[in-house]
Amino acid sequence: MTPRHHPPHERLVGYGTGALRIDRALVISTHLRACETCLGEVALTEAVGGALLASLPPAQMAPDALERALARIERPAPKAPPPALPPPGWIEIPRDVALAVRHRRRWAAPGVWVAPVIGGPRGPRGYLLRVGAGMTMPRHTHAGSEMTCVLKGAFTDRGETYGPGDFAECDESVDHQPKVTADGECVCLVAVDASLVPRDWVGRLFQPLVRI
Amino acid sequence: MPKDLCGAALSASIVAIAQRGDRNAFAVLFGHFAPRVKSYLLRLGASAESAEELAQETLLIVWRRAGAFDPGRAAASTWIFTIARNLRFDALRREKRPAMADDPSEAVTGPAPPDAIVVALQAEARLGRAVAALSADQARVVRLAFFSDKPHSQIASELGLPLGTVKSRLRLAMGRLRALLGEAA
Repeated sequence: MTPRHHPPHERLVGYGTGALRIDRALVISTHLRACETCLGEVALTEAVGGALLASLPPAQMAPDALERALARIERPAPKAPPPALPPPGWIEIPRDVALAVRHRRRWAAPGVWVAPVIGGPRGPRGYLLRVGAGMTMPRHTHAGSEMTCVLKGAFTDRGETYGPGDFAECDESVDHQPKVTADGECVCLVAVDASLVPRDWVGRLFQPLVRI
Repeated sequence: MPKDLCGAALSASIVAIAQRGDRNAFAVLFGHFAPRVKSYLLRLGASAESAEELAQETLLIVWRRAGAFDPGRAAASTWIFTIARNLRFDALRREKRPAMADDPSEAVTGPAPPDAIVVALQAEARLGRAVAALSADQARVVRLAFFSDKPHSQIASELGLPLGTVKSRLRLAMGRLRALLGEAA
């Protein structure tokens, strides 16, 4: 299925150039696995980056850099790690995400599990969030921005439905309450600047459990 | 014209590595790309040590994956830029998690048609000219967006422009470059 909700152009350029924050890059790279259109946009950025590379003033390499490189190419390449496959029914996911699913899941509340993917408890980070069929997230805003890519299932938010591969981005001006559709669980990869800010007592109860 | 030759020579060097493990060709590529890749990584905010190491690793991957390079599909500079960028992302991921990552934009989806090699080289040369031909305002925004780790909001404040203007200039510039690439393909 082709995604219907895409990252804004500047995020794709940020990914293509390598300037995007790493947790956000992970969300974009997951969307790109599902979206030929955006992949084409990123490919253009890469072509421009290659062309600009030629115009950069060369940096000074270490005096023995070439010698070291010539020695390194004689050594055998390390074995590639075995592929980390997504669970059945999910879209294709980056290896780091598959490893998080396998090794770092923990139940946070009834029907809800989270799995940290990148970053620590403070500051920017990426995590997986699973919410059961038909459940509503506590109403919340964000201290900063939040990027989401749907890996399985679907949720609705402010009149739109987000399904597998779809991308969503909110900033602190958005006060929302996403709801998972009734037909099954929904799993998302989420990148945030900082913790979300619950807006009501249910959310305030929920937050320490989920720690998101 | 020298640009075409240069791009063709660089592509040919990668093919020479793939076909016969040509170490001289590798030295040529290393001399051209390693200092530029290091320069790019420094601009993204990598430390001098990390930029040096990732430039080494980029060229090491060029050696190991030369067989996967398709001169009809991408210019040498595009392919190497993409490898360097992915290694930078991988390094940042490793700082947070001990795992290597893969990237779909490296995926090869099929063989290139025979004429595509010439077209790709022409596209690269055109693109270089197109970047040079952007208006000064557009070029400044494109360069800042590409070779700095600054968010667009910071670029905007440094240039003394509204954020919306920076975004629209970048979009316009990329649109122009896309149109030029489209003509070439």
